[in-house]
Amino acid sequence: MSTCSVSKGCFVFKPSPKKRRVSPKTAEYFKEANNDSEDSGLRFATCQSLWKQIKSETEQVQEELNKQLFDNLVSFLRRSHSEFQEKTTEWTCRMKSREIPTAALVLGVNVTDHDLTFKSLSEVLQNNITPYVALLQAKDCPGIKNLMQKLMGQLMNCCIDVDSSDEEDYVQVSQHRIRCSMTSLISWYENITKKTDSETPSKKRISRHLQSPPVVVIFKDMESFTTKVLQDFIGISSLLPHSVSSLLCIELFQSLSCKEHLSTIIDKLLLTTQFAFKLSEKVLQVLINIFLYHDFSVQNFIKGFQLCIVEHFHSQPLSVLCCQLVEAKKRVNSLSHSQCENIRRLPSFRRYVESQVSEKQIALLTADNFLKEVIQKLLEDLHVYHENYVPVLRCLHVFTSSLPKYPLGKQIRELHCACLENRVWETEEYESSLQLARMLNKSDLVTMLQKCVEIFVSSSGKEFDKVVEKLKEFLAQFQKLEAGACQERGESVSSQKELQKKTDLYHLQKTLLELKESRRSKKLTKFEMLRFEVVDFIDNLVRNYLVPADHKTLHEIMYFNTASALREHLNAAPRIALHTALNNPYCYLKNQALKSDGGSISNKAPDICIVYKLHLECGRLINLVDWLEAFSTVVMAVEGTNEDAAASDQVDDIIHARFIQAVSELELLGFIKPSKQKTDHVARLTWGGC
Amino acid sequence: MSQPEGKGGAALEVRFVPDEDVLKHIADDAGIKVRKDKTQLTVTVKKFVKTLENISDDEAQEILEEKSYVAVLGICAQGIGKEEFTTAVTSGYSSPDTHLESESEYSASCSEEEEEEEEQKEANTVVSGRKTPAKTKAASTPPSQKTLSKKMKDDKMSNLVEEYFEAHSSSKVLTSDRTLQKLHKRRLNQETLRDLLKKAPLAFAPEIKELNQQHECLFSKWMLQLHLGFNIVLYGLGSKRDLLEKFRTSVLQDSVHLVVNGYFPSITVRSILNSITEEVLEHIGTFRSPLDQLEFIMKRFKEDSSLELYVLIHNLDSQMLRGERSQQILAQLSSLPSIYLIASVDHINAPLMWDQAKQSLYNWLWYETTTFSPYVEETSYENSLLVQQSGSLALSSLTHVLRSLTPNARGIFRLLAQYQLENKDNPSYPGLSFQDFYQQCREAFLVNSDLTLRAQLTEFRDHKLIRTKRGADGVEYLLIPVDDSTLTDFLEKEDEDV
Repeated sequence: MSTCSVSKGCFVFKPSPKKRRVSPKTAEYFKEANNDSEDSGLRFATCQSLWKQIKSETEQVQEELNKQLFDNLVSFLRRSHSEFQEKTTEWTCRMKSREIPTAALVLGVNVTDHDLTFKSLSEVLQNNITPYVALLQAKDCPGIKNLMQKLMGQLMNCCIDVDSSDEEDYVQVSQHRIRCSMTSLISWYENITKKTDSETPSKKRISRHLQSPPVVVIFKDMESFTTKVLQDFIGISSLLPHSVSSLLCIELFQSLSCKEHLSTIIDKLLLTTQFAFKLSEKVLQVLINIFLYHDFSVQNFIKGFQLCIVEHFHSQPLSVLCCQLVEAKKRVNSLSHSQCENIRRLPSFRRYVESQVSEKQIALLTADNFLKEVIQKLLEDLHVYHENYVPVLRCLHVFTSSLPKYPLGKQIRELHCACLENRVWETEEYESSLQLARMLNKSDLVTMLQKCVEIFVSSSGKEFDKVVEKLKEFLAQFQKLEAGACQERGESVSSQKELQKKTDLYHLQKTLLELKESRRSKKLTKFEMLRFEVVDFIDNLVRNYLVPADHKTLHEIMYFNTASALREHLNAAPRIALHTALNNPYCYLKNQALKSDGGSISNKAPDICIVYKLHLECGRLINLVDWLEAFSTVVMAVEGTNEDAAASDQVDDIIHARFIQAVSELELLGFIKPSKQKTDHVARLTWGGC
Repeated sequence: MSQPEGKGGAALEVRFVPDEDVLKHIADDAGIKVRKDKTQLTVTVKKFVKTLENISDDEAQEILEEKSYVAVLGICAQGIGKEEFTTAVTSGYSSPDTHLESESEYSASCSEEEEEEEEQKEANTVVSGRKTPAKTKAASTPPSQKTLSKKMKDDKMSNLVEEYFEAHSSSKVLTSDRTLQKLHKRRLNQETLRDLLKKAPLAFAPEIKELNQQHECLFSKWMLQLHLGFNIVLYGLGSKRDLLEKFRTSVLQDSVHLVVNGYFPSITVRSILNSITEEVLEHIGTFRSPLDQLEFIMKRFKEDSSLELYVLIHNLDSQMLRGERSQQILAQLSSLPSIYLIASVDHINAPLMWDQAKQSLYNWLWYETTTFSPYVEETSYENSLLVQQSGSLALSSLTHVLRSLTPNARGIFRLLAQYQLENKDNPSYPGLSFQDFYQQCREAFLVNSDLTLRAQLTEFRDHKLIRTKRGADGVEYLLIPVDDSTLTDFLEKEDEDV
């Protein structure tokens, strides 16, 4: 069946049920997509399990972050509801009862993350407060009718779920759904509350009102609802159609900023040894840039992360080893010969081989078994590197994040990127931050050192016992200094006193000069010496442990580093692609005839390129006749066949047709549109020439 | 009021003797506009006169500068100056809010000596209409050598910005007035166009084939990513229709799939949803709104996890689908885990269709698939300026509907069609007023009361054969919304049949 038709735009294809594939496994596509089926099954399984872990981790993070907010909301709802229940008789409360308690939830600009927040919010509310929660979205409710319909539908359905009552009820409800009005909602509500009461007869007398759960309506993206709809709804539900905003008793709640959310996510996903999969500096930078400059969406960040995982396992045959160390060691043993060859081809491994003595080199390149042993050792090294990297990075971050102007960045992710990019200690920023660190005051220094001790103690690295010891020693020394400081202070005070004593101008000048002299030549105080030592110690740690990952052998197995693929798929620039294709077709069509030097275009180029190029030379309006003429001149120059025809005003029909086609294509692409300003003119929709 | 206008017209005629067509065009244009917005015209004309009177000393400087500038740029630029002048006049009429700047330019050129104008006239006839951007710039910037040389030094970015404002600040247009009619070229119709294009060999076929083969390697990767919850959007120059067709025939043969031709002129979201509910889900019944329908689909797909649907949309950015609502519905549809969407976009501004919320629903992975294949199918429905509207579709539907009507009804329609054709040269033809039409129908013994005529017209309107619009005087006018050539064809055919 063809999909071209002049009467129809949609075509459904249904293979006969016999032929239909029974839910083809995603794994098969993974295998198919990989031409060499090297361990692809295993790779895919690893990939999926890793993704599952990461997904659950991120969800957990989200939950924790929202917990505070949700707790506040829940308590607000409880409070406002119980207030309402208790004081029904009082007059003030009667007034108040006309108001609807409202919580205004302010979320950030990261619209895309809100879905999840709302989903979990309504879950929380359903579990803790009331079964009657309705979540309304602006896009579903263009009118008050739709809104009521949605509301009733959600409320009545959920009550069925909770009550788990018999079929009969359900049928009733669905019949009722047709008449959606406030009165039916009220009667439904009364009905429901009565029923719950009768089900719990013991409590009936005492807590009748408290028993009746409130109805919670959540408006998602309230600002995009039409005002009329909202007004109507609020008016109806409070049965008081005067000034509408006075009917709401609003309390404000603020959600956590998405930047903090991202920091936590990065903390949990990247700065940990829990996951073997890592992102290289460039890839991480791309993801962070998309986040910061495009959407602030944590969901999209995670989506990008997922794409990284898939791409990595898909493109790197050795990613089969990208798993926990124990498992990876096992897998090394069962590597095939071709996989061993793959390892030998890794640039980082070749560098490693070159650094070995010649006998070992031969063994590495020829004996698979020996190679496997070495790989196991190297993998272990890599693992240890990661284990050490994170605490040292955090420790360095403790220092750099409190320096003025943050030469190495405020966030740990910036520091992480800097460390991954190249040897951080060779950068200017590092130099200046060390200098700044040498000027820290004592109390700051002590608290930082304490923090570092905590970090190292809680880390899993095995080499840090000594480091902790050393840090503790520093702390002790600082304490000792404090005791000695009194003495020192005494000295300086005495000189101060001396200064005050002399009132003679000449003497004053003299003493001041002396003081200055002594200060310059003065030996460093004990504190300053100690401070230097501390900074040098940290510097040493950095040089030892924060080596960029791509200097490590076998880093290719763990690190995904094709940032270009990521950018292309997530943050594509369709306009640039179009422009390149039109301007320089040689980029795509590798034909020597199309090769041209900057700016100009070969006259043998595809028609649309020529037409495009000609149109760039025009202003806002383009005369079709002139355009056609210019086009035919260019094209004729190539063919150069019938000179006579070219001389005359008559244009070859085929060229005419080609021109028409190219112009319509430009119109489809949105470069031009027909214009009625002048006869036989089109208007340009872009500007700027060649 | 009409006096100053007359003056302006006379002045125009004196100056534009060499190019009669231009004049006619301008006069025509102005004439229509005059009728349309009279009050605004008075304003412009007043200003116009004022500036003419106020050519005073302070402008002498400007004129001087212009002269030296003209001297620098030579004859060619003078020609442009002339044309700029003509368009300034047109724009003075056509857009009431023309800037004072253009008016003063007008007066400046007015005050130039007659000799120079003679020269300009000659230049005007010589210079062809095509303008390079440099020339445009020269014409529309204040004529001073200093600024010109300054501009050269400006970096590209500011150039771009300037070009934008130059292109859009004034309504001046500098193009020649040649029309296709002058070419003695018959307009091609759709079929001959196709035939002709078939004769033209496809350039760079082997390279294009190679490109396509590169893209075809991605098929299984696409499938993988579709199954992992992403949707795929293809972009890049060239028709992606064949590529997607190949994808469909090679990979999707054994699964349920839906192909949507977004470029199809009467495609709607409704029809897409309908084909899912009716053909894929085999549901009988109608829905009150697309939202209901969408909800139904989502429910069904969530309930039955064995249901899977691949949706291929050619040109997701087409005229009919690019609306906010359509995109919202499609995005929600695509966010279902068991609906796999693969779509192509071509328009340069296509990504503007989606806000953050929709983008996250779509969950796109972008793939550049530049194919360089001609957009034959996609442009075949387009109303190109250059293609004669054969209107074969409209014609067949016209005859089809008319055939099912009573002879009297056909007669009524015929009357209207004939009247419309008689007036086809009148660009401001409002349509046939109901009263006149009733009179004519009575005279032809087609109806006996205006009620019967109204009933008949309702039927026409239901079939979209006529359109009514109320004129300024409250009278109802009737129009057939079909172009004249189709209508002529239709009448000829009717005559044959009779």
